[in-house]
This record gives sequence, C-alpha cells and structure tokens, in this order.
Amino acid sequence: MAKRPKKDNPEKFPRLGQLFLWADNPESVNRLVYGLYMLCALLFLADFFYEKHVYLREEEFPGFYALYGFFMCALLVICAKGMRIVLKRDEDYYAPKDVESEDYPEDQLDKAENDG
Amino acid sequence: MAELFPVSFLFFAAALVLPLLPMMVRSFLLLGVPVLSGMIVWSLPEGMLWQVSFFGFELELMRVDPLSRIFALIFSLAAFLGNLYAWHVRDTVQQVAALLYVGSAIGAVLAGDLLTLFFYWEGTAIASVFLIWARGTEGAYWTGMRYLIIQIGSGVLLMAGAVVWYHETGSLAFERMTLGSLATWLIFISFGIKCAFPLLHNWLQDSYPAATVTGTVILSAFTTKLAVYALARGFAGTEILVYIGAVMTLFPIFYAVIENDLRRVLAYSLNNQLGFMVVGVGIGTELALNGTAAHAFAHILYKALLFMSVGAVLFRTGTAKGSELGGLYKTMPLTMIFCVVGAASISAFPLFSGFVTKSMILSAAVKEHYYIVWAILLFASAGVFHHSGIKIPYFAFFAHDSGMRPKEAPTHMLLAMGITAFLCIAIGVYPAPLYALLPYDVTYHSYTTTHVITQLQLLFFSALAFTVLMRTGIYPPELKSVNLDSDWIYRKAAPRVIGVLASYVSQINSSVLTFLNNRVKNTINRLYRSYGPEGRMASTWPTGAMVLSIALLLGATLLVNFAG
Repeated sequence: MAKRPKKDNPEKFPRLGQLFLWADNPESVNRLVYGLYMLCALLFLADFFYEKHVYLREEEFPGFYALYGFFMCALLVICAKGMRIVLKRDEDYYAPKDVESEDYPEDQLDKAENDG
Repeated sequence: MAELFPVSFLFFAAALVLPLLPMMVRSFLLLGVPVLSGMIVWSLPEGMLWQVSFFGFELELMRVDPLSRIFALIFSLAAFLGNLYAWHVRDTVQQVAALLYVGSAIGAVLAGDLLTLFFYWEGTAIASVFLIWARGTEGAYWTGMRYLIIQIGSGVLLMAGAVVWYHETGSLAFERMTLGSLATWLIFISFGIKCAFPLLHNWLQDSYPAATVTGTVILSAFTTKLAVYALARGFAGTEILVYIGAVMTLFPIFYAVIENDLRRVLAYSLNNQLGFMVVGVGIGTELALNGTAAHAFAHILYKALLFMSVGAVLFRTGTAKGSELGGLYKTMPLTMIFCVVGAASISAFPLFSGFVTKSMILSAAVKEHYYIVWAILLFASAGVFHHSGIKIPYFAFFAHDSGMRPKEAPTHMLLAMGITAFLCIAIGVYPAPLYALLPYDVTYHSYTTTHVITQLQLLFFSALAFTVLMRTGIYPPELKSVNLDSDWIYRKAAPRVIGVLASYVSQINSSVLTFLNNRVKNTINRLYRSYGPEGRMASTWPTGAMVLSIALLLGATLLVNFAG
C-alpha cells in the first residue's frame, strides 16, 4: 500500500510539513483518538451544566445532538456502503464519453516534485 | 457615472479586448474587472437603473435591491478569487469564457424582467461550457455536450414560461410568482434544473469534475447560486421547495461517502448545500431568506476554497482520486491547512463561516414548525461534516501514504486560497458586516451557549463515528470506480432502449420494403415473360395488329388536334 518513494527526504519537506510529521506515527494518532474520546465525553457531560435554550422537547434530551450525530453518521456510512453493492461500476463504465477513466492532460498541469 | 451602463457590459467589453492584449496585461485585466464591478455594485443606489427598448418590450437591465446586490457582490468577489487562482492559465478561450460567464451571471441577478433574465441565463450556459471543453479530452467533449444540452434546455423552458406568462399577465416583470399556472411551472422547472433539484441534478456531478483545474473553481460559484437567487426572487415562500430542498440535502451525502473522485465528492456536497438554501427559500420568512442569502455568500467562498485545494492537488499530482492520494500534508502543508479551513467552514464549526449562516435556515425551519425537515437538515449537517469536512482532507492529505511528494501549490494559488480562507474565518468570527448586507433587517445571534455546544456535540460525535468506523474497518475504502446516479437513465438505459427499438424498427422496415419490392419485381417479370418481345403473347400477335393499333393511335391524335 504505502509505496514510499526511493529517497524520502524529510529534511527537504517544507518547514510546516515537518511540523505535522507526527501524524505518521501510530502512537500519536492513538493519542489523538483518545483526545477525541475525551473531548466527546466532556461535550456530552456539558449538557448537564448549562441552561439549554431550545424549541423542541426532543432537543432537551441530554446529549441529543451528540447521539443524533453519532448514530445518524454511522447509519449514513453503512447505508452508503450498502448502496455500493448495487451502484458500483468499473471506472471505464461510461468510457470513452466520460472523463473518469482518462488521464488529466499533462500539458495543463505543473507536476513538480518537492525536492526536484 | 456607474448608472451609465449595466455592470455586465464591463465584463463583456473586457472579454472583447482581452484577446488583443499581451499575457501580462490580461492577468491584470482579469483581476481588475471583478474589483471594479464589485466597487460599482457597492456604490449603486437602489432602484431600476437602466432600461432599454427591445422589439417593443421595456427591458430592465439593472434592478438593484438588497437581494440582487448581495449576489452581485459575492459574484464579483468569487470572480476575483477564481481569476487569481487561474493566474497561470495562458488559454485565451478559458480567459474569455470566464469573463463572459461571470458577466452573464451578474447580469442575470440584476435582470428586472424575464426576457433579460433569459438572455443572461443562456449566456451563463454557453460561456461556461468552454471551461469544460478546455480540458481538451474526448471525455470532456462529451461531458460538455451533455452539460450544454441540459443547460440550454433549462433556458428554453424559461423562454417558454416567459412567453406563456406574458400571455397570461401582459407583463414580463420578474417578480414573486405563485406556482399554479403552466407558465409558473415552466419557469419553476427551468430554475430547478439549474438549481440541481433531485433527479434534475446530475449535470452538476457529471460536469464539474470534468472541467479544468481552474474551470471547476469558477463553475462552482455561479450557475447554481444564480438559480438560488432566481428561486428566492420568484418563488419565495413556495412550500414545495421546503421538501425539495430537504431531499436535496439528503441523498447527495450518501453518494459523497462512496465517491472516489474528490472533485465529484465536492460536487455532491455542493448539491447538498444548495438544498439548505432551497429550504430557506421555501420557508420564505425574512429570517429564512436572510439565511439563504447569507448561506449562499458563505458557501460560494468555502466551496471555492475546497475546489481550489483539491484543484491544487490535481495540478501537482495529476489526479484528484481518493484511492490514489494520501500523505500529501508533508509537502503541501499550506494547501492542507486551507483545505481544512474550507472543510471546517462547510461543516459549520464555530468561528467558521458556515456556523453563522446555516443555523439561520435551521432556526427558521424549526420556528415555522417544519420539524421533520429540521431533523433532516440536522442529519445533513452531520453528514456534510462527515464527507466534506473529514473525508476530503483525510483522503487527500493523510490516510495511507501514497508515496507522492509533490511540490507545494504555486504562489498565486496559495494566495487565492489564503484570501478565501481568511474570508471564511472572518465571516465566522465577525458576521456583522455580512448580516448588514442581507435583504431584511433581522437581529440574529448565532453565538449562544446552546448553539455552540450543541453544534460542537453534533460535529465531534460525527467525527467519533468516522473514527470508530475507520478503526473497525467498516468505513468503505476509496475504490477506483464510478457510482450509478440518475444520469444512468440517459447515458446508458435510454440509448440502449432506443438502440433496441431502432433495430426492431429497421428490421420491420426493411422486411416490409423487401416484400413490396419483390412483389413489384415479380409482377414485372411475369408481365415481361407473357407480353415481352420473347413472351408467348407476343409470338401470337400478327404484324397486322401492330399496324392497326398505330393507325388507331394516329387517328386519335388527329382527332385531338382538330378538336383542340
């Protein structure tokens, strides 16, 4: 999957890019995910500590927005995944009358390597 | 001075002289004209400012009021940003097309009557297709053709509607209409096509990913928002729009989750965002219409920003497909940050532009007791964060390392993205100037404790869902594929049905013809066999019979001559 370039040269990355390199480390990604869990828990609890000004009875339910967001998104992804079974076709399904399987014309691009 | 000519003419004049100018001057013209038009629109007084007589009709070319002004302003701004992003483009066709397209779009929002609207409506269709064809591939040619047919079709319906409307009312003025008569339905469907209503939508997802890197950025701003403006002008408060809009917010998010081409993902989410605006138009209260105008304004900016960042990736790597990309944050960190700003804005994070605009429409929905629609919009808000907010930046810049180490986007692109990102944040942090531009005076406070906390809950728990699904491997991977949408009907099914029918018809036709042909041939042959020179009948005829018949013929001729 991860076909690394032959000579990967992190020193040549832009400064800003080097600052984000921690994102490659699975450890820090784990830490980020735990951070997200914590944040979600805090946000859920926040519902008990302020006066909600809402229109609907349903909205007053503690963590309504949190639960709605979580479950509806899960539902969205699972439904979409199911749709793939019926709707997915090869990339060249509409070829040649479609751009999906074409290469983008090189002369309109400016492909350049970072340290090239 | 500004009232001397319609603003759109400024763009047309620039398009006329542009091909004569050297390249460096052109770039400045392309940036200068939108700035000038923005300044003119800003300074114009309200009212009908410019009339012209056309075959006995009084055409209103400059209707300036708060609704048309905010759209003309954001169009000018979007044109400036789009042209800055396209600074490197040396293609005269694209430069001229962009100017004509923007000019037509601004002309259309300032049009005060249906005939003027029609001219500009078609203008946007014809000018914009060149931004697709400019890609120069066979696929782009066919896609452009499909796009053109549908867009022109929308114009034809508008024209038909305008004619019937004139017949019914004796007026061509473009004012609020009530859906009911043939004329209003024709006009409504014409607007609906351009606004990408469900089942009329697929031209959008078909064509925007087919345009050039810079063309898509320009396309994304105008056509659909012109349609939103036209609906807000003509059909505000039409209830059916609430439901149409709700469906529009809903179904594209499912497609966006499984779509591989990131520019097409953005086209689907554009469709979803239009749904919010259409709901606002349908509700039709002052708050809702303000919400629509504000959301259109904010949307044009963050959508352009997202298309710019994905376009920059395409420009550097040659692909915009989620399955091919990943890990680009290392060498394109600025593009990544701008993309995240656009993503946060479309997801309506507090302090970003979507937060202060989208909530107006949701509030209006709940205030007018559209509870189910409100629930759908809330779902769509979570969904849009899911696919535009997380998916786009994640698959382009993080996910698995693609091994590609492209150079950071060129300076002018970074500049365009930087300015757009700044505006997205500025609107989110300090919405007062945008609120002041809105059509109605409504005091609306987006930063209440409840709103901020509930919105953060919605978004972070959506992110949680993404994380959990990603970590458990349930999240569908990006695959090289296309997904069937309703355009399958006219791209595959209809041609196939017509093909089968045609082959039947031609078979029947040819067998009937053969049958008749054979019949005639047989008769001739039979007659020839009996009466021809070699025929049996001929052999028994005496020569005298021939002489007699000639004598009779001559006699008849003589008689006719005398009688005549």
